[in-house]
Amino acid sequence: MDASGNISPLDRTWRVVGWALLIVAAVVGLWAMAWRFREGLMVTHMTQHVPWGLWISLYIYFIGLSAGSFLLSTLIYVFGVKRFEAAGPLALLQALGCLVLGMFLIWVDLGHPERFLNVFRYWNPSSVLAWESAFYVAYAAILAVELYLVLRPSLAARAQGASRGARFYRALARGDAVLDEAWKARAARWLKWLGIVGIPVAIGVHGGTGAIFAVVKSRPSWYTGIFPIVFLVSALASGGALLTFLTAVGSGLPREKRLPLVQGLARLTVGVVALDLLLILSEVLVVFYGGIPHHVAGWHETFFGPFWWVFWFVQIGLGALVPILLVAGRRTGSSLGWLALAGFLIVFGIIGVRLNIVIPAQVEPQFATLPEAYHHLRFARGYFPSVNEWLVGLCALALGLIGYLVARRVLPLEEAEREAAAHAAEGGVS
Amino acid sequence: MATDTPTDRRRFLKILGGATACTATATTLAGCTVSGARRPGGNPARRWGMIIDLRRCVACKACVVACKNENKTPPGVAYGVFIEEERGSFPHVQKTGFFRPCMQCANSSCAQVCPTGATYHRADGIVAVDYDKCIGCRYCIAACPYGARSFDYGHDYIEESDNAYNGIPSSEYGAAYGVRKKGASPIGNVRKCTFCLHLQDEHGEYREPPACCRTCMGRAIHFGDLADPEARCVAHGEKMQELLARRAPYRLKEELGNEPAVYYLPAS
Repeated sequence: MDASGNISPLDRTWRVVGWALLIVAAVVGLWAMAWRFREGLMVTHMTQHVPWGLWISLYIYFIGLSAGSFLLSTLIYVFGVKRFEAAGPLALLQALGCLVLGMFLIWVDLGHPERFLNVFRYWNPSSVLAWESAFYVAYAAILAVELYLVLRPSLAARAQGASRGARFYRALARGDAVLDEAWKARAARWLKWLGIVGIPVAIGVHGGTGAIFAVVKSRPSWYTGIFPIVFLVSALASGGALLTFLTAVGSGLPREKRLPLVQGLARLTVGVVALDLLLILSEVLVVFYGGIPHHVAGWHETFFGPFWWVFWFVQIGLGALVPILLVAGRRTGSSLGWLALAGFLIVFGIIGVRLNIVIPAQVEPQFATLPEAYHHLRFARGYFPSVNEWLVGLCALALGLIGYLVARRVLPLEEAEREAAAHAAEGGVS
Repeated sequence: MATDTPTDRRRFLKILGGATACTATATTLAGCTVSGARRPGGNPARRWGMIIDLRRCVACKACVVACKNENKTPPGVAYGVFIEEERGSFPHVQKTGFFRPCMQCANSSCAQVCPTGATYHRADGIVAVDYDKCIGCRYCIAACPYGARSFDYGHDYIEESDNAYNGIPSSEYGAAYGVRKKGASPIGNVRKCTFCLHLQDEHGEYREPPACCRTCMGRAIHFGDLADPEARCVAHGEKMQELLARRAPYRLKEELGNEPAVYYLPAS
């Protein structure tokens, strides 16, 4: 990932290189998207045994990032934790952006993307996925309103003056209404209530996304009550890690305010990562102790299958142990750069977590010799994403990063952060 | 936190009450319909089912071919497959196998998880797919314990679109979807065995048995109504319940509680 955003002394050349890379990735990705829409899901390597692949893994990845970011923002707006207050606007923006990316990927994954509204038209209440679709919409609305409330004072500040930019911000701020203390108090109350409603909704969004898998009794590695909880915990970990990383490299705060904020976020995040490890350990011990063959199969595939290194190196090594050590270390734990790396590694490692959730559980077919019953590539055992699947995934990442960088420039995020920091310093969520 | 005043407590109770009410409503709503969509279709007095006698089966796999031919399923889409297993070590080896159509479960996992209700239970017990509602999310494939569903990725046997073979429409669902066209249903949909329901007449009775049953030279596949104790196999005339009573029938993955409508009679 390239931090071509706002790291202060970043060399101009590097910034240009970063943007060039991003634009190339986006263009190549968009071409792959066009290819996918022309040819349908033919361009993927998904099979009849592994009907969900890379795109679904990335979908739950982004939903997790979103729900985690949002739940962290409720620490500020609902529970009034002041030390994190300056991270609030970014947390909300991140939550909304990641939700959009997640929705994009599940949409691309549909066999008939043009019919996605059927989920609402013919809503089937016995389907977890149908419930989730409703949750996503409610959640998006809450996020958008919250983000607007947080940014509105800074939008109004930018609306001063007569330039074209000012007109744009005046339109966004809905005129130049006076946003006095009374308005701010009202906004804080709204934020609190939206947060309170948002907590069960966000839990529904990601715990529910976990339940999409957990209710599938035909795939024993998914079929466990701990699964939605693992989803929520790893969501918090990934959301916290992304917030740590972006605050460390891109926040508009001065260094002396940024470091304690990043430290606080990083410590919270690795705590959650440790809890996540504990939950996985619990599940694995129970499964292997019982030793029911089809129950063990998925985990066996994860630990010792052809992609064993995704678990041991990406998920456990880079995604959990290294960041925990980095944050715990005396020198590394008080350096913005190392903490940023710790955050980035967790964000990266959770991709491994998501892949390992989705794919190994499906690799073991419903009957051991079913793949041999039909000789066709769609009946083959195992799964590895096709070039197109990778490129569409890359497209989502690149568009997400570009969207974030543009949003940083267009939206008054830095003002909102500084104001929140000042507000926290003078002591008060009212 | 402020001291525990009555106002605080009232507020807390209000929130708690609201949350409980929401959860209760959600659970009730979900609880009503956990078995998936049910829609009319077929004869409600019937419960079509299959009895597969593995002692009579010679593993010729004509059932698989007949199924392909009847439903014109494209490459990579299989309604009925023949699953074989090899056991033992040389020289004491044995090869066994069984035909696996869709089980047409009474508590099907596929209809349960389908977000649009595109997969639904007909009144005669057959689980069908409404291709126009299906969005192609493939949740049903992930959920089916029998691997009985296939996503139509869009493969063709012959690539040239003007080849005459590609102009033959599939007769499934009364040939409602016509000739295969790129981008149009059933491409991009999930497909499955329907017990050849297009072979039913207007009263929901079978004019002729499903292709696999009709073609079976060992008369190993019996097909008929499981609801009526006197009902006979549509193809061979044996009493369905008698077939079940005389041997020790079993159903695949019985422990999952899906209540399949396909019974097997053991080979030995």
